[in-house]
Amino acid sequence: MKKRKGLYSWLAALLLVTVFASGCSGGGQQDGGAASPPKEEDGGKQVEILLGYYSSDSSDTKMKELIDRFEEQHPNIKVKTQSAPYGQFYQKLDTQIAAGQAPDVWLSDGVYVMKYAQRGAAKDLTDWIVRDLKAEEYYGLDFNKDAEGRYWGVPQGIQVGVLFYNKDLFDKAGVDYPSEDWTWEDLKATAAKLTVDAAGKTAEDAGFDPASVNQFGLTFFSITEGWFSVMKSYGGGVLDEKAENSIVNTPENKQAFEWMVDGMQRGIITDPVDLKSFQSNTAVFPSGSAAMRIGIYARVQAANEAGLNYDVTLLPKGPDGKRVSPVIANSWVINQKSSDEKAEAAWEWIKYWATEDEVQKQWTELGEAVPVKKSVAQSDVFLKAGEQPANRKAFLDSLEFAQTLDNNAVWEEWVGKFNENAERAFLGDATIDQALSDADAAVQAVLDDFYKK
Amino acid sequence: MDNTLIDKTKPKAELLPHGKPARKRTWDHEGRWGLLMASPYILHFIVFVAGPLAASLYFSFSDYDMLNPPEWTGLDNFRRMADDPMFWRSLWNTLYFTVLFVPLQTFLALVLAVALNQRLKGLKWFRMAHFIPVISSWTVILYVADAVFNPRFGLANMLLQKLGLAGQGWLQDPKLTIPLLVMIAVWKGIGYIMVIYLAGLQSVPGDLYEASEIDGAGALRKFRYITIPLISPTTFLVLIMSTISTFQAFEQIYVLTGRGDISAAGGPNHSSLVLMLYLYREGFTFMRMGYASAIAWVLFMILFLLTLIQLRGQKKWVHYE
Repeated sequence: MKKRKGLYSWLAALLLVTVFASGCSGGGQQDGGAASPPKEEDGGKQVEILLGYYSSDSSDTKMKELIDRFEEQHPNIKVKTQSAPYGQFYQKLDTQIAAGQAPDVWLSDGVYVMKYAQRGAAKDLTDWIVRDLKAEEYYGLDFNKDAEGRYWGVPQGIQVGVLFYNKDLFDKAGVDYPSEDWTWEDLKATAAKLTVDAAGKTAEDAGFDPASVNQFGLTFFSITEGWFSVMKSYGGGVLDEKAENSIVNTPENKQAFEWMVDGMQRGIITDPVDLKSFQSNTAVFPSGSAAMRIGIYARVQAANEAGLNYDVTLLPKGPDGKRVSPVIANSWVINQKSSDEKAEAAWEWIKYWATEDEVQKQWTELGEAVPVKKSVAQSDVFLKAGEQPANRKAFLDSLEFAQTLDNNAVWEEWVGKFNENAERAFLGDATIDQALSDADAAVQAVLDDFYKK
Repeated sequence: MDNTLIDKTKPKAELLPHGKPARKRTWDHEGRWGLLMASPYILHFIVFVAGPLAASLYFSFSDYDMLNPPEWTGLDNFRRMADDPMFWRSLWNTLYFTVLFVPLQTFLALVLAVALNQRLKGLKWFRMAHFIPVISSWTVILYVADAVFNPRFGLANMLLQKLGLAGQGWLQDPKLTIPLLVMIAVWKGIGYIMVIYLAGLQSVPGDLYEASEIDGAGALRKFRYITIPLISPTTFLVLIMSTISTFQAFEQIYVLTGRGDISAAGGPNHSSLVLMLYLYREGFTFMRMGYASAIAWVLFMILFLLTLIQLRGQKKWVHYE
């Protein structure tokens, strides 16, 4: 036995190290809170919350300033942060939720709110929203409402789609700027004049080569800045109101597809292969290679950085005058597993974000999103936030007919399936009828796999 | 059975000064200290390898979305796999990639190694030039590949146009994706295999060549009857290594076809969707970690079988000195 002493003490030491190491990663959040001296003067108990958000360099700095301000106002709440660039943020978040170590409140892309809600990771905020927020003062509270009328998040900033147009390219071609009365057909007629091939011919000229386009009339990709608003304004769509069934295979969608496929085959609209020759799908318009784009508010930054001479207007109408803009309300979501105490502290943060004019103003100045609070959005802080685009009001007006992107728990997956089939039609590898019927089956299969289990 | 074990260890044990039998020796002073010193690694193995392995085996029999605890579903994931056209498509793509890539890279690397095993001027530079792609990251390769194969601005289509031929879609053309990805992967990986072959070639004794020269053998015959048999152990190693690496190919296809966007990777039209990519997407994007784990285990079984077949086959053509 004596000889084994070395072994046991060694194992004991190892065990201690392991326990210590796992304790550090698991309980670190709580330990940090307990270590800071409690502030007695406000009588409240110290609460520490973990706040997660995705960010770029500039937004990270601004966010930290706003958090400091929040802590000053709420001396009993300490905020620890966790931030990362967009992609990494979600990868980490999902594994953290799995391990029960997710932030108490996090910034969710608008299209993911329902994923967290329907998989039981997000807290139902209906009661608190009804109690503390006056719905008429905000844009987009309803964008996080599910079919049963429950709210799962509060918008942090709003992205809504409008039509961007490059004034220089319009001037050069001697064409009038887009009007608010345009239908999609009007857009295409003008776009044809703005589509130029390698030989300098436009899509209207004889001998125009759609395979060697240098400048496109309209750039267009995927759902948000692509097919969503076209299909919706033609009276079609992808999912029903509950977002649990496919409504892909309809005559309205076929009409919308005829408009899109024709535009791509004539070289007027960027098709999926055209897009691959650019650095990214979003690079076409800022590089001056397209006269128009469907774009959300965040695209203002890239257009300004590129020094384009451009403006924005409402998206065109469908044949029957229906108009639909895509909208994404990136939102604060509270962790379902957080303790009541932490959840309430997290709610204080959300309230601070939404209700305080100063916070809203500072975030607006950053220029990433349309502010949630109407009083700020309708003031010069937003409307005169920069020289370009001059017609910022178009973003607010678009919210009147904006629709969310059929968000649900399997959004990413059905969008992928739809895109696959749509691309076959866009590239002429399948007829529109075939693509729509295949897309219908594929999207329904994805939905059934989750909702009919 | 037991006897053979004891018989093998006994003579050794008898040689030890204290003369204790071998069986007890495992737990004597020395043995225990050996175990102690290895324990950090053993612990590491249990926590970071065996643990996750066991967990993924369990997940493969369960429905697990990462946000909620896994639910045991028996063989459901494997049944789903059998009926899943995407799984078969990605398995097919992976095999297609392997069948093109492994022989091509092995053969070209051998040719290159033989060529660069001569006394040439600037030999080091040639060797280095072929090794540079090996140490470059796939993101860098993407830019190089794009400069050549971009359908709009790329060198390849410019050359075709000069020759009066029609431009190609290259990575955008479903028929060309895998062959092109193979070409790029060979270009990137060949330097590494070449170095392994160079080491192999340098261990071939020179007197064999001299002897065969006296017997009147030409260069081709020497290569066929001396070089190839004598470096067959290297070839065997290279074949196993590159087969495994193609089955694990992820980053290159993710970067080259998706450009950082997982939902676009594997295209166009699933023509480059390989197993690892499919597995990753099912697990991390669509949150079907149970199904993804099942695919991983099937992938493991396939690799295991392939390696077993290669091990069996080696008796016929691998010559150890």
